[in-house]
Amino acid sequence: MSQSLLIISRQSPWSGPSAREALDIALAGGAFDLPIGLLFLDDGVFQLSHAQQPVQLQQKDLSANLKALPMFGVEALYVSARSLEERGLHEQPLPLAAECLDDTQLSALIDRYDQVITL
Amino acid sequence: MSSLQLDVRQLPVDKDGYLIELADWSEAAAAALAEREGIELTDAHWEILWLIRDFYAEFQLSPANRPLIKFVASKLGSEKGNSLHLNRLFNGAPAKLSAKLAGLPKPTNCL
Amino acid sequence: MSTLHVLSHSPFGDNRLSSCLRLLSSRDALLLCGDAVYALQAGTAQRQALELMPEVISLYALDEDVQARHLTPPERLNLIDYPGFVALSCQYDKVNTWL
Repeated sequence: MSQSLLIISRQSPWSGPSAREALDIALAGGAFDLPIGLLFLDDGVFQLSHAQQPVQLQQKDLSANLKALPMFGVEALYVSARSLEERGLHEQPLPLAAECLDDTQLSALIDRYDQVITL
Repeated sequence: MSSLQLDVRQLPVDKDGYLIELADWSEAAAAALAEREGIELTDAHWEILWLIRDFYAEFQLSPANRPLIKFVASKLGSEKGNSLHLNRLFNGAPAKLSAKLAGLPKPTNCL
Repeated sequence: MSTLHVLSHSPFGDNRLSSCLRLLSSRDALLLCGDAVYALQAGTAQRQALELMPEVISLYALDEDVQARHLTPPERLNLIDYPGFVALSCQYDKVNTWL
């Protein structure tokens, strides 16, 4: 039985390579059928904001890539309710089928996984 | 840099034979790329190539094998969305080869 | 499963420490190294937050990082060296490094 892996993505899509790296780990793990979870925390929730314009910064569209996660077998997607609320993103619908969890639920989530990577 | 001869044009390709420019792709380019791989494109190939181009348009990335199979199965049914059918069409490396023939970047999540 | 959370960034530059503190489970532990030990600076909200952590959560810091910065550790802090760091990593089910 493979070890389950929770990836915690906590940087904005524009702050450097972290958001993309977290996504790449998730996609690669999913392609190999590993039990992967992906949690958006802190500024990582900005990856879920709507109508981003990556072309303005000559970057690729991370939000389009994120939508491929279920196709790569990564369906365990989570987002911190507090991080969304702190950033004024709690009232818009999420572009992904991610489960919105409070802090207590998030500790239980981290507890459940065999391994955790925070980027 | 290597290139693909297409009529009078030279289309730049990378060291693995993938087109550098997405915009250089055409049906004729696909046929020329396929010939290099010893493949003659049939309708069965074409429906996958168009599909994987849709995948790229939607998700901005080339699928690895598993998502490719899943995507084809969701669009064309499991008779076509299975590794046997796709391996037979694309010399046993469906994700890499279909991306190449469809003019897309090499899938990064395939080892 | 128990988790050893490892922080190495200054708590005055970002919110790793505060996010981490909110997500700790009762079996977890927190290890400070590098600039993260500045959280021990007396008279700060960060130091106070560490002192207010539930007693069941063990707090560790790398001795050399604390000494280099001439910080006065609180009572509950366990100072460790690198072999101690390795031992600690093995003692918990997993290590979550807040990169």
